[in-house]
Amino acid sequence: MNQATEDSTNVRDSTGCMTRREAVRAGALVGAGLAVAGGTAVLARRASAPADPAGPGTIRSLPVLNNVRPRIDEDVLLRMQRELVKAMAKPVEQRRWIMVIDTRKCVGCHACTIACIAENHLPPGVVYRPVVTEEFGEFPNVQLRFTPRPCMQCDSPPCVPVCPVNATWKRVDGIVAIDYDKCIGCRYCIAACPYGARTSDFGENYTDGAAEGCPDGDESPMFGAQTPWADQPSHEYGKAWRREGHQSPTGNARKCHFCLHRLEAGQLPQCATTCIGRATYFGDANDPDSLVTELVTKHNVQTLLPHKGTKPRVFYIV
Amino acid sequence: MTTLSTSQATHAAMSAPAAHGRRIWTVALWLLWIVCLGLGAIGMYQRIAHGHLPAGYGSYVPWGLWIAIYFHGVGIAGGAFAVAAAGFILGLPGFRHPAALRAAIVLAFAAVVPAFMAVWLDLGHMERASRILTSPAFTSMMAFNAWMYNAFLAVAAVCWFISYRRDTGWLKPLLCLGVLLALMFPSQSGAFFGVVDAKPYWHSPLLPIMFLASAITAGAAMLLLIRGIIGVDSPAGYGDADPAIFTAAMARLRSIVLVGLVAYFLLEFAEFSIVLWNTQTHAPALDLVLFGPYWWVFWIVHLGIGGILPFALLLTRRPGAWIFAGLLVAIAFISARLNVLVPGQAIGEIRGLQDAFHHPRLNYTYHATAMEYLVGLFLIAVGMAVYFVGRRISKALAAGAA
Repeated sequence: MNQATEDSTNVRDSTGCMTRREAVRAGALVGAGLAVAGGTAVLARRASAPADPAGPGTIRSLPVLNNVRPRIDEDVLLRMQRELVKAMAKPVEQRRWIMVIDTRKCVGCHACTIACIAENHLPPGVVYRPVVTEEFGEFPNVQLRFTPRPCMQCDSPPCVPVCPVNATWKRVDGIVAIDYDKCIGCRYCIAACPYGARTSDFGENYTDGAAEGCPDGDESPMFGAQTPWADQPSHEYGKAWRREGHQSPTGNARKCHFCLHRLEAGQLPQCATTCIGRATYFGDANDPDSLVTELVTKHNVQTLLPHKGTKPRVFYIV
Repeated sequence: MTTLSTSQATHAAMSAPAAHGRRIWTVALWLLWIVCLGLGAIGMYQRIAHGHLPAGYGSYVPWGLWIAIYFHGVGIAGGAFAVAAAGFILGLPGFRHPAALRAAIVLAFAAVVPAFMAVWLDLGHMERASRILTSPAFTSMMAFNAWMYNAFLAVAAVCWFISYRRDTGWLKPLLCLGVLLALMFPSQSGAFFGVVDAKPYWHSPLLPIMFLASAITAGAAMLLLIRGIIGVDSPAGYGDADPAIFTAAMARLRSIVLVGLVAYFLLEFAEFSIVLWNTQTHAPALDLVLFGPYWWVFWIVHLGIGGILPFALLLTRRPGAWIFAGLLVAIAFISARLNVLVPGQAIGEIRGLQDAFHHPRLNYTYHATAMEYLVGLFLIAVGMAVYFVGRRISKALAAGAA
């Protein structure tokens, strides 16, 4: 290398390494940079989750089933409904919602999947509660097993810490919630969920490409883009969400939230209500007399992917 | 490898980019830019008019080509800056002049801007992108990474400005900070995936090191390409027109790319060997990489075009071959990102989930669509434009300072 040639071209060449003063400055800057980065990472771990409303203000006195006398042989839905009202009479921080699914009773009708879609106005490609079908044996000795898969509402949710904008968090009652108005739609939480429980709303509509009715406008269309149900808002998290104009929840990650908006009104999650085999149970694990507590403690229950360490709050009786 | 840089034979064989050669490259680059911009504009129109609907990613494979472009772009930025800044700090021949440093900083910006655009276009709510800076959650590697990039850009911009001043005692200290950041964020890109326990193929402590190795390799390859076809020059007379400077820079970059290639493929083999000899781990994802429908991405694009061919070209004594090798590595190393990104997502943890509810976006297969490729071309055009404008500004400021 002809070093002299290069050096002679400009006096501002960087020759040699650094002076002592430069080295001290470099050390200070690099040290400060490492300290800031490390400190930020440590502090982030200690930061508290977004504060949910709690205390007496969250107590709900619901008149549901007030006029229906309890009976020993009543349907489990009625029992769970009463237990829900009882749980809602406590402050939110004293409730611990769990779901129990009896796979021995599930007939694979997918009614829960469809009811959930109707309840939450889910567009194409968004599903909160698919039912996974597994086949065992070889024809003709084939058996099927059905596993409904809602959000597991994990106690150690992997979707929460990866959110870059604090748009998803674990509520005090155990439900993992999403703030649709904060979510930027990066889909990191979707990648982080081992259960595939989160789906992205890419903006599709069931009415896309459908006929829009008569051009002269005189006759009401039988179907098409003006279908009234498509214009109705969903009421997730107690707000009215309209998807037109790419408004949230379009563009957001979406997931099952145990029908939080229904709980607030004293109603069971839609999937539990519509389960024709009575295979889905819902209730408060903090109530020792509740049906879900009874089922979890008296049966052999399992969780999905326990080795992931997510501590799901959905239990399966197998 | 250092013997390669000092070989008399190599030195004699080298020559700076000739004027007529530069003219051909200029025309070729303008044509490429026009084609990328024209075709890319179609993709951008589709993205803006139809949102994410024409894209191939979905909910089970939520990230696709644009995220690979994003990580490739920031890798090139970090690698190019780290190599050039280290060369400047150490006073290495071919790197010791501020003009060479500024070329790398402009290149870093030209790589980061389209990378940011790629991830921005991928967001479901682009209008909320600033939230990641205004209300970040640093438990997320994405937020941590975003702040790191911006800190790096700020430091690089300050270095660029003060490199025009004489007798500044802050340039090298700031460059040290810049090198730290430039090494941290490519490795954090690996951690970005590595922290996701849900994807066994990603959940590896080797990933941050592999991302860093690929960033330095691709960054050095891009510098090799830039200095080979465009060159570095300044009004004071320093520049790649001087065979001595050109030779020194090219030889050094060649060595770095060679070492980088060896390091990356060794790390990759280390990662793969765990799976090949222990099929209980993330074997299905590796099966997809090696023998799946996109087997050719690994064997032909990644290993052949991005590894073996450039390695052979770099072993020759022809600088023209080195430049071509730089081009191959700079382009083909995006397959390194794709081969981590897509197979990691393409294996679900719950068997049968994609059959539970049928929809094209609830599927573990991913095929990039025409819109995604066209937007990719647009991003290349943006990167070229940023480099062109940045280089012009650099030269104008240098002329003013001279």
